[in-house]
Amino acid sequence: MFSGSLYSGELSELRKLFEEIKARGYKIIGPRLEDGVIRLGELEGFDEIPYGIGDIQKPGYYRVRANGGRFRSPLDSPKRILYPPELTLFRLTRDWELERPEYEFEATALFGIKPCDLAAIGIMDRVQGELGDEYFLKMREKLLIVVENCVEPSENCFCATMGTGPAASIGFDIAYTRLDDSTILFQPGSDLGVDLLGELTLEPATPDQIETLRKALLKASEKARAGFRLENLPDMLELNLESETYREIAERCLGCANCNMVCPTCFCFDVIDEPELDGSARRIRVWDGCHSYSYAQVAGGHFRKDLWARYRHWVLHKFVYWLRQFGSFGCVGCGRCITWCPAGIDLREVISKVVREVGEG
Amino acid sequence: MKEVVGSKLTPVPAEVIEVVDETPDTKTFYFKPRARLENPRPGQFTEIYIPGVGEAPVSVSGTGPDGVIMQTVRSIGTLTEYLFKLEKGGLVGIRGPYGRGWPLEKLEGRDVLVIGGGIGLAPLRPVIKEVEKNRSRYGRLSILYGARTPSLLLYKYEFDEYRSIPDSELLLTVDRGDETWTGNVGVVTELIPKATVKPENAIALVCGPEIMMRFTIKALEREGFRENQIYLSLERRMKCGVGLCGHCQVGPYFVCRHGPVFPYWMIKKYFWVDQI
Repeated sequence: MFSGSLYSGELSELRKLFEEIKARGYKIIGPRLEDGVIRLGELEGFDEIPYGIGDIQKPGYYRVRANGGRFRSPLDSPKRILYPPELTLFRLTRDWELERPEYEFEATALFGIKPCDLAAIGIMDRVQGELGDEYFLKMREKLLIVVENCVEPSENCFCATMGTGPAASIGFDIAYTRLDDSTILFQPGSDLGVDLLGELTLEPATPDQIETLRKALLKASEKARAGFRLENLPDMLELNLESETYREIAERCLGCANCNMVCPTCFCFDVIDEPELDGSARRIRVWDGCHSYSYAQVAGGHFRKDLWARYRHWVLHKFVYWLRQFGSFGCVGCGRCITWCPAGIDLREVISKVVREVGEG
Repeated sequence: MKEVVGSKLTPVPAEVIEVVDETPDTKTFYFKPRARLENPRPGQFTEIYIPGVGEAPVSVSGTGPDGVIMQTVRSIGTLTEYLFKLEKGGLVGIRGPYGRGWPLEKLEGRDVLVIGGGIGLAPLRPVIKEVEKNRSRYGRLSILYGARTPSLLLYKYEFDEYRSIPDSELLLTVDRGDETWTGNVGVVTELIPKATVKPENAIALVCGPEIMMRFTIKALEREGFRENQIYLSLERRMKCGVGLCGHCQVGPYFVCRHGPVFPYWMIKKYFWVDQI
């Protein structure tokens, strides 16, 4: 997959793009303000997108402010749309008749997701592979992606370290950047993207606009960094499996698995039975997270009964094992796990510390 | 257009056609699936489903005509408690078989050292049956089997059959004997030096509680077995069985898909790390 050249247009062209996608029959999912939090949800109209509303994200901290600024990764990632938190697999009657629910797979557009989340979709593609979750694969077939590049990352963002942002590079239909309040730069990333942009009133981007974009992305990229580098990171972490840092973190960690739930790539699930009054049972796939107590528990035993071991597993899975399993890191640097951690634990600091210990040891 | 998803996690009904009491807390079930499952290879497992309760991964201990699957279960949790209430004619759901089993192709032409602890003999039984069935393909067979007490030994009714396999031996031990026990008393690792199968041209297959496997590895290495001559079958929470749910990870491996049987060298780096 490749991306095309840059075009510029007025803000009204972004609205036109939205309306064009809607006119083509897509269900549009994008950022919207819900109870003081920006989430991903179905958008009826372009005006529901909270442009002009900013968010403040810090470790364990999230607020929106209506007096301008920009919003970053919403609470929900595309995972919630493509890989729902709860999915009924089947219902088994008392007479062992298996009923399997049917799901409607509509053509869906993700509008205004961030480059980190786009990268997360790419990671989910590799995780699920061709034989993975059927719901995900079906949703993915008809997915249109319009991604918004980030020129103002939050304090918790580290996409530049993970190589997933602040600008999207591949895997989208259209990327756009809100250069300022009135100018949008558009870039097609697929045949369909070219087609859609063809419906808008656009001019090739001017050298000045491109220079402004370059500077903005450079600045964003300098900000969206963690204190560690990716070079040799998996080895550094594996050489320090017994790090005391994991135990220190576990003293603050609540084991709530919020980080797992908001993570755009965490894919673990449990399958639970819900008995019904008529004697039938519904079998439901639900998200699970490696921080939850029961995650590695079996009848008569527990493979990670201590919280520090569960926290360590999470870090090692994202930054060591994932590469061996799926050929990339399992983290896109969206910062959600830092924002939504009730204890404000900063994953970036944990990793930096464990790596530093290798040098000191 | 509406579509159905999730077929991979759908069990087929299977009828209990026989139940054998093995030990005070362990039974062997013979299940006849109503739809043909793939023929399990030695060391593989299935997911057994009780509606309204849930699923559990259970290793396959044998196969019979018409797709019958033999599985030995210890009553240890909620699901097995329900399973134990089933009698002949009862129904469960089964998915599978899953996982990579014992390396039969590596065993060909080599001596085979089978080491089981307690219920750990269950996934090893198909190897013993395989060696018995295709005797000329494999070298000498030593079966070392230990349990806490004589009453906890599985498949006692077959021991004479194991002993009668040509060029083989069955060495038993228990941690604590009783009035009828005249054999070895001690842990299974003490049998390793007594086995007639020696490390030259041999493969050791080990299954038992993790602590037993740790001591067994040490004992095997003392005898001269290399890391690639030792295979272990690991237990983890294999919830989905198909490498998607994440629960059974050990290091970078999904035990359900990359295992449950691993050559020791592949997991050594993680095997000794507490709660990895």
